[in-house]
Order: sequence, then C-alpha cells, then structure tokens
Amino acid sequence: MIEGFRLGVFSRGTTLWDGLDFALGDAAAWFVAGPPSSGKTLLLSILRGERRPDAGDVVVSGESLYRGNAALARAWRASCGHVPEQTIADARLTVADLFRRSALAGSGVRERERKDRTERLLEMVGLPGVLEWRIAELSISERVRACLAAELLRGPKILFCDGVVAGAGIPCREMLWGLFRALAREGNTVVLAERTIPERWVLAAGDAEPVGPFRVYRLPVPGAGMR
Amino acid sequence: MSERPSLWWIDWRLSRGPLLRETIGRLLFFCLLGFALLSLLLSGGVGRFLADRYAITAVLRAEVPSAEAEGLARKVAALPPVRSAAYRDPEAAWKEFLRAYPGLDPLRGAGGNPLPGYIEIRIRPDRLTGADVGLVTSALRSVSLVEQVLAGEEWLPRLLRTGRLASWVCRGIFAAFLAGFFLVSRLQERARAIALAGDFAFLAERGVPGGRLAFFRAAGAAVSGFLLAAAGTAAGGGALFLSLRAFPFLESVIGPTSDLVLPRTVAAAVLFSLGAALLSGAASLLGWRAARSGRK
Repeated sequence: MIEGFRLGVFSRGTTLWDGLDFALGDAAAWFVAGPPSSGKTLLLSILRGERRPDAGDVVVSGESLYRGNAALARAWRASCGHVPEQTIADARLTVADLFRRSALAGSGVRERERKDRTERLLEMVGLPGVLEWRIAELSISERVRACLAAELLRGPKILFCDGVVAGAGIPCREMLWGLFRALAREGNTVVLAERTIPERWVLAAGDAEPVGPFRVYRLPVPGAGMR
Repeated sequence: MSERPSLWWIDWRLSRGPLLRETIGRLLFFCLLGFALLSLLLSGGVGRFLADRYAITAVLRAEVPSAEAEGLARKVAALPPVRSAAYRDPEAAWKEFLRAYPGLDPLRGAGGNPLPGYIEIRIRPDRLTGADVGLVTSALRSVSLVEQVLAGEEWLPRLLRTGRLASWVCRGIFAAFLAGFFLVSRLQERARAIALAGDFAFLAERGVPGGRLAFFRAAGAAVSGFLLAAAGTAAGGGALFLSLRAFPFLESVIGPTSDLVLPRTVAAAVLFSLGAALLSGAASLLGWRAARSGRK
C-alpha cells in the first residue's frame, strides 16, 4: 500500500498543495485526475521516491520512503515502472533500445526471453514490427505505447503512468482499460495521472475521492473486491 | 528477477557503435605505445647506442705473450660491468692500423711491427656509468702487463650526462604520450557519459545507484584498458621483432630480439598494462564526474 501523509509541495514561490492524505491499495488500478499544472507529475515522482516532498511523508508497506532506509527506497524504485509524459529526450533511440534499456534495469531477463516478450508486448499495444524504428519517427500515441510496453517487459509490481491515456489516444483506450485492469487482477498496482478521465471509465469507477486539487478514482477490477 | 541488475559492460550494452570505434582507436594507440615501450626498455634510452660505440682499450706491454694476454682478457670479461673483452695481438693491431691509415706500411720496414697488442673492452649498456668504467680502468691499471688504459676519461662524464639527458627526453616523450592517452580517454569517457545520460537517468530512476553505475563503468574501462594494453604491447612487440629481423643494424641501437622475452621485459609489459588499466579506470571515473557536474 502506498500512503501519503500530510503531503505538501511548495513550488514557484507558492504552495502547490499541502496536507494531502490518501492511501492507494495494492492490486488495484488508481486514476488521479487533476487540472493542468496542478502537480500530477510531481505527485507521481514523489510517490516513486524520486522527489522528497516539502512536507509530509510517503509510506510504502509500512516503511517511510524518505525517512527510512535508503536501500529500501532503492528497492522500491526498482520495483516500479514509469511511463513518463512524452518528451523528445529519447528521440535518438530505437524501440529496440527502449526494451534493451528496460531489460538492463531488471536483471534476470535472458536475451531470448527478452526478444519473445518484446514481440508479444509490442503486438499487445498494437505496434508489431516496429523494433528498429526510431522514437523520433513515431507518433505521440506510438511513443506512449512503445514506452508502456518497454516498462511492462520487466514486470513491475507498481506501474506509474503519466498522461498515458491521453497520449495513447481514443482508439487505444479500450486496450488500456483492459490492460490496466488485467495488471491489477494479477496483483500489480497501477497509478495513472491524467487531466481528465474518460467518461466510460468514470461511469465504471463511480464516485471519486477528492484529494487536494485531485480526484482519485479506483478502477473496477474484475474478480477483486473493493477496498 | 533479482533486485540488482548486472552493470558489467553497461556502456557496451547501451552504445556499441561509438564504443567499438573508441576501442579500435585505443588498441592502435596501445600498439604504438607498446612498440615505443619495448624499444625504450631494450635500448635503455640511448644507453645501448652509447655502449655499442664506447670501448676501453688496454694497451699491453710489447713483451706480453699471447697466452697471458688472452688469460687477462678472460679475467677482464668476468668483471660485472664488462660485456666483452677481446685480445688483439700485435699483428691484428697492425692490420687494423693499415686499414685505418692506408699507405703507412713503410713504417714497419725499419724495425718490425711497431704496434703492441691490446685488449678491447666493451661495457654492458645498463652498466655504462662513471663508477663502473672507473672500476674496470682501475682494475686494469693495477695489472703489470698493461702499459696504458685508454678510456676517454676526460670526455666520458660529459658524454654520459648527455646520454642520461637524452634517455630522460625519450622517457618524457613516452610519458607525454601516456598523459595524452589519459586526457583523450577522459574526454571520450565524459562525452560518452553525456551521450548516455538519459539511459543512466532511466536506470537511476529505477533504483540503480549512481555510485554502482560509476564503479562498474570504471571497472569495465579498467579491465578493457588492461586487455587492450596487453594486446597492444604484444602486437607492438611483434612489430619490433619483425623490424629487428628485417633491419639487423637496429639491434645495435635497440637490442637483440632475444631480449624481448626476458622476464624483466615481460614484467615491465605487465606493469605497463596494469598502469593502462588504472589510467582507463581513473579516466572513466573523472569523465563520469565531469559529465555529472557539467564541467570540462
């Protein structure tokens, strides 16, 4: 479980948010919706252990991420996957490079296994045969899906996705809906940060829990009881 | 999956093309450095060149029998600084004289061979010092069979000083090339660390500590530096061997090919490879640090 206690961030000379309390349970898909510049990306980086909050603390499975053992924080980061909001930082790489790099971050993936899983994951996100394509040649939607597939290669226990639903585009929503719920059903935790939540997803998720400037939804997972 | 991914050869796994080019460049450079190192080791700078040209001449008294002179030459050859001691009898001395000064054979007509026999003594290249030459000359002067010892003692100190200076210049040039290798390696490592910054940030974000990355990069650089230096020195040694076989006159300046496999030569090559490994590792660490801090 990921818990935020009295979380606060002071940015650009002002308080972005303060006193956030929330808990994101395991084996679930969480959807954090918030307006532009509300600090969604910042919140995800705090939850991943990348950026210390200016106030409050993050507790993961009962251990403080920022005040506890540094090795635990590293182990937490190693268990996380992260699909960032798309930038041009990796434009020089090919899709194969993304997978190779992802495999490096999680050792134990054999070369043959990596190739098999790479092909299956790319097919799953609707990008078969793009391994040698450069990231710069891909559309935003394709980049998002390629990055998502590369992260899934390592099988992260917790997956943070920043703007993935919007980036992937409307035609891919059904695939993502099924994917996130399937990941949660298998015991993984998915945390999505988006500006808006698709209407069909709101209808399925029900009422949101307001947390500061954000609305937090729990997507329904087939075969799992609500927290 | 284990929580600690293997980071050995991380640069190779992330960026093969540029690293391959760098590696080929370094190997070629190590071939040149290996050739220079072995030439320096065998020649002792200019020591062998000077030792090949310098000789002490012990002029014997006219009445010394050949057997005694040869016995004396053998005793002199046993002295530690002496490489060789060869006795020339009066006849041989006369023939050498005529070869050097043709047309002076009427000198002999008056009263027989006017030249005495002598012993030509050559010093080992590594023992060509004022003290060792003094040891040999004083030993010769104490022998009653010797009339005169010609060792060039009035100009020898200046010659040896110049020789030492020239040897240091040779070593300095070698060290400058080694320093150049270090600087270029550091720049290459820094450039690579910058080019791969995105990948390293990706790994750091996923729980791979920067310190581990730097350590394994440096370890990989050190291991590859050792192997490249060893391979380069072996190739340089091969080239030197072929050069000495093709141009035998070089042996008088550099040394015999058999010296290439002497234990001390091999030990020096191993030490050189270890030094190259240390420099490569240090260049990697410094390049990494410079890239992280944004300095040159």
